[in-house]
Amino acid sequence: MQKKENSNHQLTRRDFLKTSAKAGVLFSLGYPLLSESGKAATSVAVSATDLAVVKGNPEKAVLKAIDLVGGMKQFVKEGQRVVIKPNMSFAKTPEEAANTNPVVVATVAQACRDAGATQVLVLDHTLQQGDLCIEKSGIGEFCQSIKGTYVLALNDEGFYQTVNVPRGKVIRELKIMKEILKSEVLINLPTAKSHSATGVSVGMKGLMGVIWDRGYFHSQVDLHQAIADLTSLVRPNLTIIDASRVLASGGPSGPGIVEKLNTIIAGVDPVAVDAYGVTITKWFFRKFEPAQIKHLLAAHQMGLGNINLNQLKIQEETV
Amino acid sequence: MRKTIQLLFLFFFTYLFLRTHYPLTSWIPVDLFLRADPLIALTALLSSKEITTHFIPAMILMVLTLLFGRFFCGYLCPLGTLIEVSRRLLPAPEVRHPEKLRVVKFYLLMVIVIASTTGAQLAFLFDPTVILTRTYTILLSPLIILVANFSLEGIRPLADHLGLITLAYLHYFQPLFYTTLSTGAIFISIIALNLITPRFWCRYLCPLGALVSLCSRVGIFKRMVDKSCTYCMKCTHQCPMGAIEEDPTKVKVRECIQCRTCTLVCPQKVVSFKPHYAPFHEDLHTELGITRRGFLCSLSGGLISSFLLYNSPLKRGRGDTLIRPPGALPEEAFLNTCIRCSACMKVCITNTLQPSLFEGGLEGLWTPRADLRRAACEQSCNLCGKVCPTHAIRDLDPEEKKHAKIGTAVLLKEKCLVWEQDKVCLICDEQCPYNAIVFKTVEGLRRPFVIENKCNGCGFCEQKCPVEGDAAIVVKPLGEIRLKEGSYRKEAELKSLKLTEDSGYDRFLFENESGKEVNE
Repeated sequence: MQKKENSNHQLTRRDFLKTSAKAGVLFSLGYPLLSESGKAATSVAVSATDLAVVKGNPEKAVLKAIDLVGGMKQFVKEGQRVVIKPNMSFAKTPEEAANTNPVVVATVAQACRDAGATQVLVLDHTLQQGDLCIEKSGIGEFCQSIKGTYVLALNDEGFYQTVNVPRGKVIRELKIMKEILKSEVLINLPTAKSHSATGVSVGMKGLMGVIWDRGYFHSQVDLHQAIADLTSLVRPNLTIIDASRVLASGGPSGPGIVEKLNTIIAGVDPVAVDAYGVTITKWFFRKFEPAQIKHLLAAHQMGLGNINLNQLKIQEETV
Repeated sequence: MRKTIQLLFLFFFTYLFLRTHYPLTSWIPVDLFLRADPLIALTALLSSKEITTHFIPAMILMVLTLLFGRFFCGYLCPLGTLIEVSRRLLPAPEVRHPEKLRVVKFYLLMVIVIASTTGAQLAFLFDPTVILTRTYTILLSPLIILVANFSLEGIRPLADHLGLITLAYLHYFQPLFYTTLSTGAIFISIIALNLITPRFWCRYLCPLGALVSLCSRVGIFKRMVDKSCTYCMKCTHQCPMGAIEEDPTKVKVRECIQCRTCTLVCPQKVVSFKPHYAPFHEDLHTELGITRRGFLCSLSGGLISSFLLYNSPLKRGRGDTLIRPPGALPEEAFLNTCIRCSACMKVCITNTLQPSLFEGGLEGLWTPRADLRRAACEQSCNLCGKVCPTHAIRDLDPEEKKHAKIGTAVLLKEKCLVWEQDKVCLICDEQCPYNAIVFKTVEGLRRPFVIENKCNGCGFCEQKCPVEGDAAIVVKPLGEIRLKEGSYRKEAELKSLKLTEDSGYDRFLFENESGKEVNE
């Protein structure tokens, strides 16, 4: 259709390319993951359990947690392309707990494959040199043997695209990973850690790894509201918090106190999962209520999820 | 045969260059060519006044030169090969032979060697291995990566469609360097001089050629012409170095690069290179052409060059912007030892190492400096010291490197978003691998401070500071540790530096719901 319009006047090659690019974005991509496209806009409880909290061996705990929220087949359908977003931003070892535990990443990637995903892309926009982060975090190594799984640090602006943030209060438009626009499923796989700006960094804060310009969040606008705005745009289908090791102080990069909590938390509501994540330990030597974490409160107030843990159905287990 | 060897060595040089990256896995030292360069070895030896095993390859080359003459230029020198190859590709106008210029390379050699005894490093301007390494690093490799990434951009949609995810997301880190233009200009000039005379650079200018040529007299393979020569002059005209005289039975032995073109073109097959030890044979033209005036000029030139360099109008005090790589020798020793080959810049994983322009004065031209606003120094990487052919940057193990403090972060409160605009920014703290940034409550808000003795100057704070333009937190050379020998860890201990992983300073608390205010 676009082409026809143009053929009335002279169709230059540049016009053609421009138009096809626009058409491509509009029609072929269709933004499956963006909230406003409707598909994933509302959080529908897919199982009777809102939150699954499983303690024990991280590998078993992840699998159990996925089971409790309805099984991976609920989220990943045959032939789909899945993006897993772990914390992979720092060239630090798993023991330093600044990144998601590689065992957990590999287990989730394998679960996606088992559920029928054709491709699983483990993506982050790393703060430190990409190859180093993939190497030191162990995520590259652990995912190496899983077929159809790719661990990539997208540190070039070319992999990002500007989109509108219709519900944003302080963010009008945002440059986010094109892959987020393209893939059918997004699984957010953060590690829980202390964070000197937001108090705690879990899922919502971790999703800042899918945007190009993080500095803007920190320097130009209210960081907390910006994170909530991001959640209004990019809504993961499933959030699994890796609290096998948590960086209870010195976060987000460490060094700091690392606690071995051996806990996995899973849920569909990204705000609820984070809210629980806040309560699992003391951050910077003190307890926090979910409402004290400003970006969680902002997201709750925007209606993006529920931070009132007493209103949620939480299933706790030990494996 | 010779061309095959030449190309093999050019490829070998290129291969080692390409292997100069993180992780450094090559079992052949990637700086082998630089370490096999007798001119670098000699000047490094004279200026540092220390003999190291590091330059054994150069010593081997010198022994071989004593045996075989000036074969380096005709077989091994990668720049020489490029010059020869380009000669074939370029239009060849009328050949001119400004014979008088031949002596220039000896003068240059003299200036460089004499200057190095006084501590001024000049070899970097004229050494062919250095010039080529630098051209590769600063000009060619970024250019090739640019083209590669551009091409990859084109095939992404197709690769993605075919399910070739790795290819669809393949993207090479794009290094960029300052001084691309000047580096390129030098290289292109050397190639372009070929238009005037074949191997112009090698004949007239190359001081490394001059050095090996000085030793060529005693070589055992020398050009010998049988008495049955018909004086057809073919060899005289075809010699790439113009080393054969009007009388084709005679050769300027210092210019002969053992390429044996003459044996191939001789219709009578009377030219031979049989082993024949005769350093004083009458047919050998061994004159250097050095005049007394020229000798005195280059001698004094060499002697005063360091004076001129260190006292030129371009000389400045060492500014605040000059951050040296971790493990760099004390500044003066560093300047004397660094040959500006830019191998450290090639291997630098974050691309923070950049060639200096005049940040270190004229004498610091092309020396490496960390541009921390551009990129930080990766703490787990210690490769710059591993590839430095002259050990101007010391080879440190990771723990030592961590303590090789390159500077200290200074917080510019008037630019800082937290101090000046009451914003909740903490990127410097988030980035700091040493917890050297802490927050304390000032006027009701938590604000960043630098703990000087926990900072090793890595520059993550400066790189990521979200302020436009120059960062609000800047690493200055303040407190840098530069040791000629000995342990950085011990030195850091003496200076009460705590570059370890503890979170002791992080005991601040969030008060009330704002999450902003803290109480120590």
